[in-house]
Amino acid sequence: MGAYEAELNNGVASLCERLHSEPMIAAKVRLAVIGFAQDVQVRLPLSDARTLTAAPQMRIRGVTNYGAAFTMLGQQIPTDVRELKAQGYQVHRPAVFFLSDGLPSDEPAWRNARQQLIDRQVTPTAPNIIACGIGQAEAQIISQVATRPEFGFIAVPNCDIGLAISEFFHSLVQSLVQSSQTLDTQSPRLVVNRPDQFVLAVDEV
Amino acid sequence: MAPAGHCDPAGESPVPPPSADRIVIEPAGHVFESRPSHAPGIPGADTECDGWSTGAFTLRWATVRGDWHRYYHQPRQDQARATVHRPSGAVAFAVADGVSSAELADVGALEACSAALREMLDQLDRDAWPLDHAQVAAAAGSALRQRAADRLGTASPSAEQVEKLFATTLVAGVVLPGPSGPQAALMRIGDSCAWLLDRGTGQYHALFRPKSDHVVMSNSVTSLPRIPKQVEHVMVRLDPRLILLAGTDGFGDPLGNGTGPLGELFARQLIGPPPRPLSFAHLLDFSRETYDDDRALLAIWSLQEPT
Repeated sequence: MGAYEAELNNGVASLCERLHSEPMIAAKVRLAVIGFAQDVQVRLPLSDARTLTAAPQMRIRGVTNYGAAFTMLGQQIPTDVRELKAQGYQVHRPAVFFLSDGLPSDEPAWRNARQQLIDRQVTPTAPNIIACGIGQAEAQIISQVATRPEFGFIAVPNCDIGLAISEFFHSLVQSLVQSSQTLDTQSPRLVVNRPDQFVLAVDEV
Repeated sequence: MAPAGHCDPAGESPVPPPSADRIVIEPAGHVFESRPSHAPGIPGADTECDGWSTGAFTLRWATVRGDWHRYYHQPRQDQARATVHRPSGAVAFAVADGVSSAELADVGALEACSAALREMLDQLDRDAWPLDHAQVAAAAGSALRQRAADRLGTASPSAEQVEKLFATTLVAGVVLPGPSGPQAALMRIGDSCAWLLDRGTGQYHALFRPKSDHVVMSNSVTSLPRIPKQVEHVMVRLDPRLILLAGTDGFGDPLGNGTGPLGELFARQLIGPPPRPLSFAHLLDFSRETYDDDRALLAIWSLQEPT
């Protein structure tokens, strides 16, 4: 993904800008951004987008350690939810938007870390995971990362990777906006749309 | 000099800055001038309220459009109604929260309230006590089906068709004076709720199971026209120590168990002499960030000491 660092940062910036321009939605969203390679780096701790003065900067680094990301999320998400509830908020189930351009470097260990994260008996605040794969990522792995078949997407063969990254963020923003609009209804739900330039990963397995 | 204004982000004409007299429970919600509803038909008002006293009860109710709907051009979808059954001195009441995904949720909520009231008054006319709650639910559901049939031009619309147009929650009940003191009988469908507020302690006691206190929110509920096999209902005794409250989740969610700032605010304002109807509505128009749903609340004070 090294060649596409600019697209990655543009995508993160567009996400922050959109939240900034939608105060009613931004009030109901808290955003964290992490990068994972051989380890995890927190680019933005859980934050209110309205308070951001600059978008977090992503850096493309080495291998792709899926397990490090899932382990970190398993520790941080419960802490963040507790903090939000302590502030008086009602908290809906978190959503993790996962983007990878490679195979997991910690096969098969990452699978246990993911399972611990999404098992609601182990992690009551377990997130939904929407997974997108580009570049060297494989459809089968991506579909195994996503928590539901309709949450896993793989970039179409030979697509423009930069464009795919942009579409990933466009879809993420739409998901946030549409999901937020259901929060006050009797049926709040996570709205996930297939990003342009992607297909369902299960269809490619 | 014209007051300083600002351009609405939607590109509409400059609007005056909103008044600063709203009750705020920190953190405050976004400040903006309300936008008109873009729903079909003639929309209802932003706020409705009513209040009066009989010899036995004092009543106040209000429904207020939430900031989310004010911002996104949607109508108020919560409704409330109340009336007196003069032969018995009973007060019949109903509160409803139209399901946002229903095309005419505001109409459904009002229709459910009206139908429930008509059925309860009819039962009181027949000296039916305790209330037949299932029949109250059935009457409300039937009214929604009839309304859908009229709109769609079909004799028997499906539950899905009715739901798509008019789905709503409902809390309905009656407070009835009696020789041993007043009794209150209530039923509910959906996630609107009712409470007893103790004027001595300021504590709230929920009369229906509140939304589950899961680690994370999960609030899918049944709503009219669908009627569960067992309609939730409750009967309690009222005395002047207790205020009966019925409200939608726009009030219930920020209230929680009543020990937070919203619960304290309402307890302070309600345990003394009942506020005037407009003051009651002003209370209900509180601003608190993320709690931007429509809200409806009805309160009944008993004036009758138990013998």
